[in-house]
Amino acid sequence: MVDKSDVPAALSAMDKLFDGIVWICRVVTGVALVLMTIMFGWLVFGRYVLNATPTWVEQYSLLLIMLIAFLGAAVGVREHTHLSVVAFRFVVPTQVRTVMVLLTDTMMAVFGVVLVVYGAQLTMFKWNTMIPLIGISEGYRSLPLTIMGGLILLFSIGHIIRVLIGRDERADSIE
Amino acid sequence: MGLAVLLGIFAFAVILGTPVAFALGIASLAAFWFEGLPLMVGVQRIISGINVFSLMAIPFFIFAGELMFHGGIAARLVRFASAAVGAVRGGLGIVNVFSSMLFGGISGSAIADISALGSILVPVMKDKGYDADYAVNVTVTSSIAGIIIPPSHNMIIFAIAAGGGISVSKLFLAGVVPGILMCVCLAIVSYIIAVRRGYQAEQFPGWTALAIAFFGAIPGLLTAVIIVGGVLSGIFTVTESGAFGAIYAFIVTLVVYRALTWESFKIAVKSSVKTTSMVMVLIACAGAFAYMLTFYQVPSLMIETMTGISSNPIMILLMINIVLLVLGMIMDMAALILICTPIFLPVAVGIGVDPLQFGMILLVNLGLGLCTPPVGSCLFVGCAVGNLPMEKAVRTIWPFYLAIFAALMLITFVPAISLTLPNLLGG
Amino acid sequence: ETWRAWNIHSDGHPNTAAMDRFAELAAEATGGELEISVYHGGVLGSQPDALEQVQLGAIDVGNFNLGPIGPIVKEANLVSLPFIFKDVPHMFRVLDGEAGEIVSAAMADAGILPLAYFDAGARSFYTQKEINAPEDVAGLKIRVMNNDLYTAMISAMGGNPSPMAFGEVYQSLKTGVVDGAENNFPSFKNVAHYEVTSNYSLSEHLIIPECICVNTANFNALSPEMQDAVRGAAEEAAMYQRELWAVQSAEARAEVEAAGVAVNEIADKGPFQAAMVSVYDDYLAANPDMRTLVEIAQATE
Ligand code: NA
Ligand code: NA
Repeated sequence: MVDKSDVPAALSAMDKLFDGIVWICRVVTGVALVLMTIMFGWLVFGRYVLNATPTWVEQYSLLLIMLIAFLGAAVGVREHTHLSVVAFRFVVPTQVRTVMVLLTDTMMAVFGVVLVVYGAQLTMFKWNTMIPLIGISEGYRSLPLTIMGGLILLFSIGHIIRVLIGRDERADSIE
Repeated sequence: MGLAVLLGIFAFAVILGTPVAFALGIASLAAFWFEGLPLMVGVQRIISGINVFSLMAIPFFIFAGELMFHGGIAARLVRFASAAVGAVRGGLGIVNVFSSMLFGGISGSAIADISALGSILVPVMKDKGYDADYAVNVTVTSSIAGIIIPPSHNMIIFAIAAGGGISVSKLFLAGVVPGILMCVCLAIVSYIIAVRRGYQAEQFPGWTALAIAFFGAIPGLLTAVIIVGGVLSGIFTVTESGAFGAIYAFIVTLVVYRALTWESFKIAVKSSVKTTSMVMVLIACAGAFAYMLTFYQVPSLMIETMTGISSNPIMILLMINIVLLVLGMIMDMAALILICTPIFLPVAVGIGVDPLQFGMILLVNLGLGLCTPPVGSCLFVGCAVGNLPMEKAVRTIWPFYLAIFAALMLITFVPAISLTLPNLLGG
Repeated sequence: ETWRAWNIHSDGHPNTAAMDRFAELAAEATGGELEISVYHGGVLGSQPDALEQVQLGAIDVGNFNLGPIGPIVKEANLVSLPFIFKDVPHMFRVLDGEAGEIVSAAMADAGILPLAYFDAGARSFYTQKEINAPEDVAGLKIRVMNNDLYTAMISAMGGNPSPMAFGEVYQSLKTGVVDGAENNFPSFKNVAHYEVTSNYSLSEHLIIPECICVNTANFNALSPEMQDAVRGAAEEAAMYQRELWAVQSAEARAEVEAAGVAVNEIADKGPFQAAMVSVYDDYLAANPDMRTLVEIAQATE
């Protein structure tokens, strides 16, 4: 377990910031999921009972799922909940393990950068194209992935800092 | 060379311990860059992977499963199963399998099955003197029923990967008999091991108690009727049915069982989002990966290779099974469905296998892969629930593998197991 | 040089044959300097994705339907106006004329240069009962593609437009989630919707062609001789496609009729066109710059 008693101030400030971001993502994705469920209930009610199908449900739900998927996945990166194969980390000496963890975090950080840069480009490229039936910009479709890229970059840097100062929470699962 | 970059970086990233979803994404974007393709298109392929309307069913089925778990439906199913089949030797092992069969009928997800039923049953089993490894092994392997018995979001993913030519409701019907068959095979193995290890039977609680347990479980069991019945009768589409399952589960647990609190609702939402985002980001990145596989013309190479080795249908089916089993061991289900379907479905259809039957073969294979190391999400979650190191669970799990494998061989070589029901009922 | 080509149709479709012919002709006409490798079956992505990939240069050329180009190039929406064309030949005359030049120029500006147009027939309604007048659509749940013009068209006739993923339509027609849908004969047959509907009413409300479109910059980078060769290959492939389409369309019609679908002519399309007045008015009020183009198309003989 990471000792909480003498956590450097800068590190706990970083943790607080990240916890805040995670909290926002949780609220947004949770609301999105509930909203989507209600929208589909309304869709069936509208078509089956009112005989007036709401034509916007399909398109909006496709946007909401982007939010749920990518913001939720960013939270998963911070909390290490994504499926990964850690078996190989068990069989190597500690120093090699540290290098493996650092390499992973670095690759993730680079992946984050690529997603931010090209996600933003794609968002701008499509900004003036409107989604049929709801009339809002196609750019919103790629925005959540772009944000996820930024968060992955941020969280991965956080992981790297923790590893370098010997406070990586993954030590638990590895040891 | 480009293909080597794609596969090499993927393997490298996975071995380092990078999450599989992001390993797929990283390898794909690296290949995009290597081929001089615009990286914006790489980003587009990731987004397009989940920009698919039918995938909306996934969060709904997961959400419904979580609500059922946190709102007391799962517990009532276990009570019913326990009253009905607990009196057999090693009864709780069979109760576990039977519960999964029932829960599989209302939830489409193996992970939901393990977290819902495993967290109820494994502690009880340990209490009553069952070994932890046995409890975990039964829980893990029987959870696969949730994938084969309808409804199942993995079937929807398969239908999408097949290019939309396969009816999801027929797929649902095709899964019923194979799912039950698999549970029977697992129950037999559970029984044999229980007898050899000397586990005791539960007391039969009497017909009154069984009836009470059954009535208690009815509102929960109706979820399946609502979902499948609503689709077959034309009230809603498959996608919409998932949302109705969630709404129904919400109402039942809140109003009928009165077990859902604001706190447990929030937990249900939170874990639904967690599971949904894990699955969806995996599908998204697998989309980019599949694009590059197509770019390198891997599917047609594979078809040529396989049909070049042998033209005997039985040999080809065995080969497909072996490849799927090996891939299933090292990768996760959703991604593999998306990658393997375009490659193997044409091969299977070419030797006269019905796409519905192929779907069952694929799902059982990959389901088995979920229970095996090194990459097996069911095994991971099951060991976490049972508080058992993976090595310990794996040491004694092979008879259960054998049971699923026996079911797999029957499903592979007896088409009627999968096809009778959809042919009979249409759908 | 090698071009990657996108095509959503699979083997046996006229457009698949035409795209293969296009690749063959282009290689011939350029003396093997330009090779086109065609990816059939939409394996490189959906149509909106593939359009984006053409614009960004990941795909060089493709066989696109003009309908989904509308959200990207407003002028392309001309063909999505219900009942704008009298029939298929009229549609080709409009696109070969001044209106076509405006559309082409706008598409080229967006990076998607059309080289030649394919016949995609006319879309008509298929439902469980005959449709002869707009009133017959009233109260029916009709599946349409995602476009405000198509939903407005159904609403103007008093129907209930129900956009829905294409893959869900078969089951929905069968169980009655929707009462009808609309498409051309070959698609109606190929996706087996005729198995679950009893009537096909020849409303021909939408005549939306497909085209061979190329990344504008890639095309302009070719030498003038190469450009002529590629354009010639596309035009010849389009002629070939139109022949195949006519044959397959007739075969598809015969086949669905043999399977028991009743096909009815609509004697007078006047009431349908009259019902569309509000659709046109709303559309032109929201897009005043489209008025000239619409008038040119309507004035084309
Ligand atoms: Na299921
Ligand atoms: Na179980």
